[in-house]
Amino acid sequence: MVSAILVTIIATMSTWWVSHAITRTWLYPLWSGFLVALAMGEPIVGMKAAAYIQLTYLGWITAGGTMPGNLMVAGVFGTALTILSGADPILAPTFAVPFSLLGILTWQAYMTLNSLWVHKADKYVEAGDLTGVRMMNWIPSGILSFILNGIPAFILVRFGGDYATQALAAIPQYFINAFSTVGALMPALGIAMLLTYIGKKKIIAFFFAGYFMTVYLHLDTMAITVFAAIAGVLVYFFTVDNKKEEA
Amino acid sequence: MDQSIEKQPVKLRKIDLIKHWLGGYSQETCYNYERLQALGTTQAIIPVIKRLYKTKEERAKALKKYMVFFNTEPSFIGTVIPGIAASMEEQAANGVNVTEEDINSLRTGLMGPMAGIGDTVSQGIVYPILAGIACSLALAGNLAGPIMFEIFYKAIMLISGYTMYMIGYKKGKSAILNLLRAGTLNRVTEIFSIVGLMVIGSMAATRVTIVTPIAFTVGEVGVNLQKVLDSLLPSLLPLIAVLAVWKLLVKGKSPTYIIAVLFVVGIVCSLLGILSVPTAG
Repeated sequence: MVSAILVTIIATMSTWWVSHAITRTWLYPLWSGFLVALAMGEPIVGMKAAAYIQLTYLGWITAGGTMPGNLMVAGVFGTALTILSGADPILAPTFAVPFSLLGILTWQAYMTLNSLWVHKADKYVEAGDLTGVRMMNWIPSGILSFILNGIPAFILVRFGGDYATQALAAIPQYFINAFSTVGALMPALGIAMLLTYIGKKKIIAFFFAGYFMTVYLHLDTMAITVFAAIAGVLVYFFTVDNKKEEA
Repeated sequence: MDQSIEKQPVKLRKIDLIKHWLGGYSQETCYNYERLQALGTTQAIIPVIKRLYKTKEERAKALKKYMVFFNTEPSFIGTVIPGIAASMEEQAANGVNVTEEDINSLRTGLMGPMAGIGDTVSQGIVYPILAGIACSLALAGNLAGPIMFEIFYKAIMLISGYTMYMIGYKKGKSAILNLLRAGTLNRVTEIFSIVGLMVIGSMAATRVTIVTPIAFTVGEVGVNLQKVLDSLLPSLLPLIAVLAVWKLLVKGKSPTYIIAVLFVVGIVCSLLGILSVPTAG
């Protein structure tokens, strides 16, 4: 019961961004999923599930309130369902994706209905009622997120456990294998989306540098980051000189 | 002394600026399609307006101009805009000729470019690099992964956001124009893109964990296709997968479409015994 309530709060606040100083990272499956994992008392399994979901959405950019899929719902519900069903964490993205697609609808409902409170706030501004303006910013949107995200999360965690384990047990092993393969493929999407976003032609070779340094030299991500930073600094200073000469 | 009649200048205090900057992090609390961050920015600037104006009517008038469509990146870089707005409000309250239109045209003029740079920095660089490293740690069962992600992300966000806000307040609009003109931001962005690219290159090799279980015999010799591929180029299949998805994206296919493709390809290839995940561990 306690864990269900905690997950309800996490689900609510991952969409209702009280303050980015707190909730900015709650958008991301890695952190919101990890919080769910802590709330449900399965930190390690849940963290791995969250990380697998995160990899799928690594390159997802949300700009201007549009989202290709609902990350917050994917992270919270995907991790919760993985823990509830006792499935292998690599299956987490397969669970998360349907939620994230449904989540597009709840996100659109949230963004649409929130417009109503802005009109209320217009009246408070007109009257010079500053407290009223502040209340309109926080309270109605919080209640709305609780209804759209919190309550479904509560139902899932409180009542979904038995169904989830039964459903997982009913899936034949070859399908579990197939879903694992899908899960293993999913990070390709996150990585490719990031490539389209930051991979300008003149620097794209660095992608392959990172790739082959890992494949042949077996460097881990931390080591790659160190070398990447060095490469970045070198490029920066060498291009400074060029620019100055041109000017 | 007749100068004693002159109005005492109203100055913003440090605490007002800090409240305004921090309040900006609640700019997307009531995020909505109609005016996006309008209500959020209005609510954030309340401490500034309260300091500068004493009567209800003046405050209402000053706040009203913020209730218009506004959308930028509010956490890392875009904080420069409220910084500039605060300095302009201060000038206006002290009789300098700054009109409502001046303030709003500047804000709407900057919100696009700041969103562009800000989203690239926050969502295109800081987030994937940190999340990439953190995921590697997390999948190895290390709790430091997500915790490190949280701490570093927030530290970078708050330091960058505060610095940009204060630059905006102190230097006004000239600061940001200079910054844009010199192209410094673009070049720094490019450097971080290099780091980002190498990290995701590494992740392409380690995190897309597909192998092929195909094995057959040629005469007496058993051939394990994955071993052959590994001797050719280790992690060839993951690279092909990433490049294929990239190709689809460049062609303009939507992420949802690609997810559907990955589901179908993954399930079909697994059932046919063409692809699988490594069995070890």
